[in-house]
Amino acid sequence: MKTTRRLACAALGAAAALSVAGAAWAADPIRIGYSMARTGIFAAAAPSQENPYELWKEQVNAAGGLELPGGEKRPVEFVSYDDQSNPANTVRIYEKLITQDKVDLLAAPWGTPMHLALAPVLQRYKFPMVGNTAASVQLRKVAPGYIWFPTSAIPDAMGPALAEMMAANGITSAAIIANELPYAQEFRSFLLPALKEKGIEVVMDESYPPDIKDMTSSLVQIRDKAPDAVIAMTYPSDAFLFAGQAKELGLKSPFVLSLIGPTIDAYRKVFGSAADGIIASAHWSPEATEWTRGKAFFDAYVAKFGEEPDALDSALSYMSLEILQQAVAKAGLDHEALREAIATGTFDTINGEVKFDGVQNDVTPTGFVQIQDGKIELVWPESIKTSDYQPKQGW
Amino acid sequence: MDTLLSGQLLFAALVSGSLYALIALGLNLVYGTLRLLNIAHGDLVMIGAYTAFWLFTLLSIPPVVSFFVAAALCALLGWAVYEGMFRRLLANPGLAKRVEANSLILFYGISVILQNLTALAFTSSSRGYQYLDTVITWQGVSMTGNRLLSLGVAGGICIAALLFLRFHLFGWELRAVIQRREAAQIVGVNLNRVQPIIICAGFAIAGIAGVLVSMTEQITPFMGFPFTIIAFVVIIIGGLGNIGAGVLAGLSLGLIETYGVALTSPGYRSILIYGLFVAVLLIRPEGIFTKAVRS
Repeated sequence: MKTTRRLACAALGAAAALSVAGAAWAADPIRIGYSMARTGIFAAAAPSQENPYELWKEQVNAAGGLELPGGEKRPVEFVSYDDQSNPANTVRIYEKLITQDKVDLLAAPWGTPMHLALAPVLQRYKFPMVGNTAASVQLRKVAPGYIWFPTSAIPDAMGPALAEMMAANGITSAAIIANELPYAQEFRSFLLPALKEKGIEVVMDESYPPDIKDMTSSLVQIRDKAPDAVIAMTYPSDAFLFAGQAKELGLKSPFVLSLIGPTIDAYRKVFGSAADGIIASAHWSPEATEWTRGKAFFDAYVAKFGEEPDALDSALSYMSLEILQQAVAKAGLDHEALREAIATGTFDTINGEVKFDGVQNDVTPTGFVQIQDGKIELVWPESIKTSDYQPKQGW
Repeated sequence: MDTLLSGQLLFAALVSGSLYALIALGLNLVYGTLRLLNIAHGDLVMIGAYTAFWLFTLLSIPPVVSFFVAAALCALLGWAVYEGMFRRLLANPGLAKRVEANSLILFYGISVILQNLTALAFTSSSRGYQYLDTVITWQGVSMTGNRLLSLGVAGGICIAALLFLRFHLFGWELRAVIQRREAAQIVGVNLNRVQPIIICAGFAIAGIAGVLVSMTEQITPFMGFPFTIIAFVVIIIGGLGNIGAGVLAGLSLGLIETYGVALTSPGYRSILIYGLFVAVLLIRPEGIFTKAVRS
């Protein structure tokens, strides 16, 4: 009995020694923590963020690891938890990641409410994190410190930009239907005055609940009023409803925008050529040749996941890690040095150059994309467009 | 006003209403005969939707064939749930008394497991496919092929189910079990035969509804819950366990939703539906279409 126990102890000891040796030999991994809305109301959107994370990790590790100042490379490892789409869980998880798991770096969770809930936590622990999938005018109120937002799809900039794009394309009348959720309503509140300023008549302005199941009565009214533009401030679930019923009723308006949804891979699979001509919110396109890394990201994503990355959320998620990667290469893992590097650096991303002013990216312009021949093309503004706007030719 | 009288709005109302009726029919059958509150009902719709999606995408099998596969798959699941869990619970009178309340929690667990298993297997990315999306115009009413198919299938199954209940001997047995469980046994209805058949049928109907939904909506592991809610609203408005009234309530809800929104604005959609729901619970808790309360 005793010998068995002694043997077992020896074996355990040997195994422990081996694993320590093994770890030292392979260089300690850099651990990056995040929470993700894997279940709950945001779950359907989370893969558009977590897939780019996985792709980035795979690419970094294939290249020998994450580079630190001085050229040393260490492999990357993720520590992640499900926050069940609940911002309170997000806060708890990040506190755990920082204090108990003692991760080296942080990546962002999914969604605006999570980002907003997290800002004070990062401030308290002085732990820098580059955000990604948050978009709201509320972000502008976050005090600069340890969080940054690379998006330029913020409603107070999108409203005037869209009005300008519409005016530039000869639009004189518009019908608006908007989801009652905050992002759509923020956008609506900034679009209405911008349209007025450009002299674009609003022939209909209606809001609908997120759980809407039928839009026939609104869309029949729009069809009968025949405005130049239909601005549907959709979220992904109602974006499918809108396009299906707009097609059924044969809306003739040449300018059709559906706020969030059309850039999702499944959308184009469901609607095929009927999706051509639909405009959506995004500031990235794989077709942009000057952003050489963009096309490479797109191809690698399609090869790994068998579907296209979302032009908004997937691009932003990947960008946030590119920014982190470049900042770490310059400043290492020390939190203060890293904060300084992110706050003052200029980064080369799949969406071109990014630089932060306070919490916001002040380089990437607010843009709009259009589906043309099944591809996502940037059509606004002039400075980054990959194709010209084309009036929608039927459904 | 023109819009209100147009066939277009009627078509939209019938498409929604028939789908609500179909989804509620499955739930109501299971509740009526087994007194099980199937909170996972919407997740069966989700399984039906994924079945149609994968068959179409991987094997180019159209939804008209997937109906049978989805129905079989969900029926099998129903059989497994019955054999594995409820047969023994229902056979024991002591446990059977509590099974109604317990089933809610049990099915909640099943729902969470189904959602997460699906998310693990297929990721939670949205899916979708393009099928029968040609628009047909008849008498000034535009109808997308897949919505027309949805109306036909959902309406057809509801009518067939009602006729079956009215005219087939098994339908009589079923109604007997729903109305007077103990008395039905005394007059010779074999509960051990009726119950598994009904749970399979109820689950299969949800699977078929999933195939219909998959043609027009995006498919995700978490798409089912709203269908569970709407199905419960429908069967409570109609009267729990009252099959015919449930179908009528589903159809009415589609009409109320579509015409109510047309008369007011889309912002009132939820207020209308849940307002009606609360009103029914307050004024006629036995359901609008249920005849005088039985002693």
